[in-house]
Amino acid sequence: MASDSPAANVNNGPSSPDDSYSSPIGNTLSSPGDASGRRRRRPSSTPSAFSTPSPPRFTTSDANPALTPTPSYRTRHGTGAGRGRRASSATPIAATPSSTDDAPASSEGGDGYDAEDVRPTYVWGTNISVEDVNEAIYRFLKHFRERSSQSGEDALLIEGKYETAIKRVLEFEGDSLDVDAHDVFAYDPDLYTKMVRYPLEVLAIFDIVLMNMVSRIDPLFEKHIQTRIFNLKSSTSMRNLNPSDIERMVSLKGMIIRCSSIIPEIREAVFRCLVCGYYSDPVVVNRGQITEPTLCLKEECQARNSMSLVHNRCRFADKQIVRLQETPDEIPDGGTPHTVSLLMHDKLVDTGKPGDRVEVTGIYRAMTVRVGPTQRTVKSLFKTYIDCLHIKKTDKSRMLTGDPKEAENPVGRSTEDITFDEEKVKQLKELSKLPDIYDRLTRSLAPNIWELDDVKKGLLCQLFGGNALSLPSGASFRGDINILLVGDPGTSKSQLLQYIHKLSPRGIYTSGRGSSAVGLTAYVAKDPETGETVLESGALVLSDRGICCIDEFDKMSENARSMLHEVMEQQTVSIAKAGIIASLNARTSVLACANPSGSRYNPRLSVIDNIHLPPTLLSRFDLIYLILDKADEQTDRRLAKHIVSLHFENPESAVQDVLDLSTLTAYVSYARRHIHPQLSDEAAEELTRGYVEMRRRGNFPGSSKKVITATPRQIESLIRLSEALARIRFSEWVEHRDVTEAFRLLEVAMQQSATDHSTGTIDMDLITTGVSASERMRRESLLSTTRNIIMEKIQLGGPSMRLLELLEELKKQISGSEVHLNDLRNAVSTLASEGFVAVHGDSVKRM
Amino acid sequence: MVGLPYDLVANPLGAVRSTFEKAAASSGFDPNGKDWGVLDLFRHFLFDQGRLSQVPILNGETIRWIQPKTLVRFRAMVQDMLGNEFYVGAYQDGSVWRTNKFRDVSQFPLGDSSPHTQVWERRLLYCVPVPGQNSWTEPSSESVVNQCKDFIPQQREKRRRMDDEAIDDMNMLVSDNGFQVSPSVKKVKEDGCPSTSSQTQDSLSEGYCSNTSMVTGIDKDFLSCLVKIYDSPESDLKLNDVFEFIGILTLDSELNEDKDDHDEPDNGFCDDVMVHLPPNKGFMLQVPRLHCLIHRKLAAPDFLRGSPMMEPKPHFVREMREVLLRHLTVVLGNDGIAAHFMLLHLLSRVHTRVDTVAVGKLSLNLTCFSKESAALFGSRLSLALKTLLPFTHCIPLTLEYLNSVSLAPKKDYETNRLKTGVLQLAEGSHIIIDETQLEAGTLNSVGMENARLLRNLMELQRVEYDFKYYKMEMAADVQLLIFSEAKSNILPADIVMPFQPSSVGSSEVVTAEALEAWRWYLATVKSLPHSIESEMQKVVENDLVAARQADRSIGSHDFNRWLTMGRLMSLSFGETCLSLEHWQMVKELERLRRERLK
Repeated sequence: MASDSPAANVNNGPSSPDDSYSSPIGNTLSSPGDASGRRRRRPSSTPSAFSTPSPPRFTTSDANPALTPTPSYRTRHGTGAGRGRRASSATPIAATPSSTDDAPASSEGGDGYDAEDVRPTYVWGTNISVEDVNEAIYRFLKHFRERSSQSGEDALLIEGKYETAIKRVLEFEGDSLDVDAHDVFAYDPDLYTKMVRYPLEVLAIFDIVLMNMVSRIDPLFEKHIQTRIFNLKSSTSMRNLNPSDIERMVSLKGMIIRCSSIIPEIREAVFRCLVCGYYSDPVVVNRGQITEPTLCLKEECQARNSMSLVHNRCRFADKQIVRLQETPDEIPDGGTPHTVSLLMHDKLVDTGKPGDRVEVTGIYRAMTVRVGPTQRTVKSLFKTYIDCLHIKKTDKSRMLTGDPKEAENPVGRSTEDITFDEEKVKQLKELSKLPDIYDRLTRSLAPNIWELDDVKKGLLCQLFGGNALSLPSGASFRGDINILLVGDPGTSKSQLLQYIHKLSPRGIYTSGRGSSAVGLTAYVAKDPETGETVLESGALVLSDRGICCIDEFDKMSENARSMLHEVMEQQTVSIAKAGIIASLNARTSVLACANPSGSRYNPRLSVIDNIHLPPTLLSRFDLIYLILDKADEQTDRRLAKHIVSLHFENPESAVQDVLDLSTLTAYVSYARRHIHPQLSDEAAEELTRGYVEMRRRGNFPGSSKKVITATPRQIESLIRLSEALARIRFSEWVEHRDVTEAFRLLEVAMQQSATDHSTGTIDMDLITTGVSASERMRRESLLSTTRNIIMEKIQLGGPSMRLLELLEELKKQISGSEVHLNDLRNAVSTLASEGFVAVHGDSVKRM
Repeated sequence: MVGLPYDLVANPLGAVRSTFEKAAASSGFDPNGKDWGVLDLFRHFLFDQGRLSQVPILNGETIRWIQPKTLVRFRAMVQDMLGNEFYVGAYQDGSVWRTNKFRDVSQFPLGDSSPHTQVWERRLLYCVPVPGQNSWTEPSSESVVNQCKDFIPQQREKRRRMDDEAIDDMNMLVSDNGFQVSPSVKKVKEDGCPSTSSQTQDSLSEGYCSNTSMVTGIDKDFLSCLVKIYDSPESDLKLNDVFEFIGILTLDSELNEDKDDHDEPDNGFCDDVMVHLPPNKGFMLQVPRLHCLIHRKLAAPDFLRGSPMMEPKPHFVREMREVLLRHLTVVLGNDGIAAHFMLLHLLSRVHTRVDTVAVGKLSLNLTCFSKESAALFGSRLSLALKTLLPFTHCIPLTLEYLNSVSLAPKKDYETNRLKTGVLQLAEGSHIIIDETQLEAGTLNSVGMENARLLRNLMELQRVEYDFKYYKMEMAADVQLLIFSEAKSNILPADIVMPFQPSSVGSSEVVTAEALEAWRWYLATVKSLPHSIESEMQKVVENDLVAARQADRSIGSHDFNRWLTMGRLMSLSFGETCLSLEHWQMVKELERLRRERLK
């Protein structure tokens, strides 16, 4: 029944612990006592019964020496025999696994091994003094304080970070203490180095020191607490793991692809004699094997081969084998992903499921493979795995976002900040100081799509985003910028969208044609197993704090589009369905692109007619770009040049000074996370001035028309844009030039999208109601003329008149411009709604 | 180095051992130093002394008589990468250093007692013969066969019998462990090779079955191999690259023994690579392993027999071009324009990638086919291409096929292997897609996915490999030729060309020499470099601008096509610089094509 790990040796004669075997891994030999050191000591009533000889030096022989609190009581045959956990609190050193006197000097084994010293305890084969490490760890746990708290005068009054943490663990009756490796490094770089280099030994001491501290705080605390190290200074890539990493602490990122079922691993077995019913004392696992007593231990019985295992009195521990695969971004060109196995124990079991991206800290180990289960010869191959110490879910494939409020939790912060180590931040800050950083970023955005610089600038603003603001009264203003691209086919809109999607945090890419309203927002589904109603998030909710890219916006169903109204202004999705009434956050920027209604832009039609989207929705876009394919020889020539060079030039020689994608991503995420620009007074002034100017522009002298040029929504857009522009420069203040540029961007977008084609002025009315001011005037005059005609021609209650006759009359009266039947119909229906006439089919009757 | 004490071909391990021992005995030996000069020895022997031809080529035929632990050559495509393996590279046996490099099991039993061991690393690659490889690329190994065939056939017989018995055990083991290879394979076979009514389908099923056979091991000519690579930078070997591996063949069955302890709970995480390799042909227990000493990447010219490495002289190339063009014209039923386009198509390759744009591809869609003419010309053309190109495929695009076949390779996490798909192809493969057989009907989700994959391949020259939790795009370089009744909308090709044969005349007889010459022509001309002079560049630019001014519907797509054609046109004459004459020819060809389209 023993879980037979393919261990290399079976040599466990009590008297020869050290001389017959060694690790296959050259000089990374671990201490002979590491396994026992890692086994947790527990007070036991029968300390002597299981005192075993030195456990194997062969660290690979036991698949999991380290991670499970073994309830067994193990002692050294040497110095610390018979010492319980509490006893060890007096002199933890003595209880440490190894000492010079039970490790025969091996000249090749150690670097700087010194046998002639005055008996400091060394980890076998190394120059690590157990006492020193012990001291260092104790100091660290006792005295480590975070830098922020050190600065204060009362620093000493505050408890150390880990002392507090230990107390918290005790309160919660937890079983592990998370230790940030960065803290260890900050406090004692030497300890950090030792820990990474000889994790088995150092962690064993770590645990002992920890347990001592625990017993001092609460002598009655029974549970064992493990140290879990995480957040190493450097993380390795899976494909760079090589033989020199064996037995070291490594940190890896990857994706879980397979989890085994939970394997109960026996830790302590109890046997019962079938003859007399005598229960043996618990037998502990020794090197993955349990020896069944051949003889009943009861003196009166002594029956042979009568002992059988009693399952429900044995102790088991959970074990799980997980396969981790490289994430796609780490795979070089033309390679397939590598995988590595993880061994998880106890609490770590089932912490991740297939598909999760995780960061794992653990010890890389190699295990020999025996040729046959009964043979001692081993194959020349090794199986490698990682003994997992700590696992953390990550999602780093995309740009990081989130506002500072969410990152206040110190644990959360420390986990997210890794990507921005000091060097990177310095580099980014330097970049931000470049005078042409704005242009450079614009160039770096989708460099293979040329031209469209203003569109790219808008998209850049969208990536950086403005500041979201929520007032205490509950009102909130979104910081996300929504952009709509409308353009002729083949103007690389979709490519831009794809690019932004790849770059953006939690970007979701959908195509309007295939999206339904619920697919975008959220839907209620019945769980097939339990029958409960569950809420499933749609694309917009999933892209909370990201960018939702919607292609083929025009081909979306009316119903689906109407769902966007709430999302784009209130940034929530409200659901009221059977059993569930909920409001979900959807703080997402929308980037949509659409073809003009007639697939090609028809310059004779108004923008609204071209875009063919409800004006209510349109006004929610901060920037609407019209990307038109103009018949311009200059652009054609540039296109031709571009393509010719594509075909005939060595692309490497044409390196432009653009930022690569990862730098760009880092730059954007850093800005989003750390830069929160405020409006400066002068910028605010400029905004006001500009806005007034914009509104006034419509009332140019000599025109009687009332043209609304800008709406309050525009000023919000302007603020957002200028904030984003300040972010691009890593500036905490929105300056004058940001506002000017924001105006320019809006103008560029608006001039294209809101030009009234009959007057040539910017006309926001066109966007907000769908009718241009001049058009509205025309309609009004038509209406009044029609009213007059009807007044003249049709008697109250008299015979009805046909529409065509009316049209004839109308044409006679309005000679200058063309009148269509449709216009007339509109006018008549307006009159009908006023109750002036009644319309029956084609005939009009005055009421 | 004269008079070696060992035979490098028959006993390469002897050479490994003796050189290692020599190195170990010398002073200043560093057990961490991984190369001790054995590679130089082999390199000198194979290339400097030109003994490469003495090394037998490993394939389904030769595996029957090649002795294990001898030197072999193996030409194959990297189908999957199985990660790295740690092994005891060097260890001390008593006081003597020994090495395990280039062998599966250590020479002397490795007990626990060896005080000093060095752990080294090697890469595992699963290699298969290049999909769609045509028979003419196989180098004739007659001489070697004769030379070695008298090697103990009886012993081989005996061995085979023994192995047959062992196979049963093996199969049981396989199913016991839940690695059920066979059912899925059966399914693929049923779906993969639908009714073989037309001739094109015949050739497809040939190509396709050779794909499945890597799973079944039914095809005798199909031999996959686990290649172990030592000390080579990762960037050297990429997925789907075609290589010639020269190394030591091993067929040890000793490694099987560790399968006995499968009930072990912690076996799950070691996923022994060997376990998952399906039992190959009846006379072998396992996929053979090749401990690679030297590997070199193969390109199309390497497959030419005898390969007379001629300088591509202009007049010679020009002449060859004329002859080949005439041949293609005959094959295409006297449609000269189609033959011109065909030639350009055959010369196309992706020469650069700028972001998502694959520059240099030129897929061809021949339209105006009826079912009958597609069968006739299709089969004739595919036969002709088979004799000209190293790797060819045919896909009859039926609904059934689209809905059932798995085009993209897919990662199977149960076995931790990449299951190949039809579109896992080596660089420079050619695919004929016969769309005339497509009928109206419903595509299921598989069909949609497959159609999307084909479209992606066509537009971007990329194939998405399915890794279940994410997709990974792999760059491909595949020439695509499509037969359809009208312009294909599922597969938008670069060139749409209405096919107008004027005769059904029987195909001419081609001499072997001519074929050789054409293969040489296609392989050599294709890989020539190309450039443009600034003067010519101006002309081209002006032409493009003028064309766009005249017709707004002309876009970058058309520009790309013209430039690719211009490039290929001058290449077809063996010239490395675009000339006005050739540019004019391209424009003329385009004009003729547009006329036909009207």
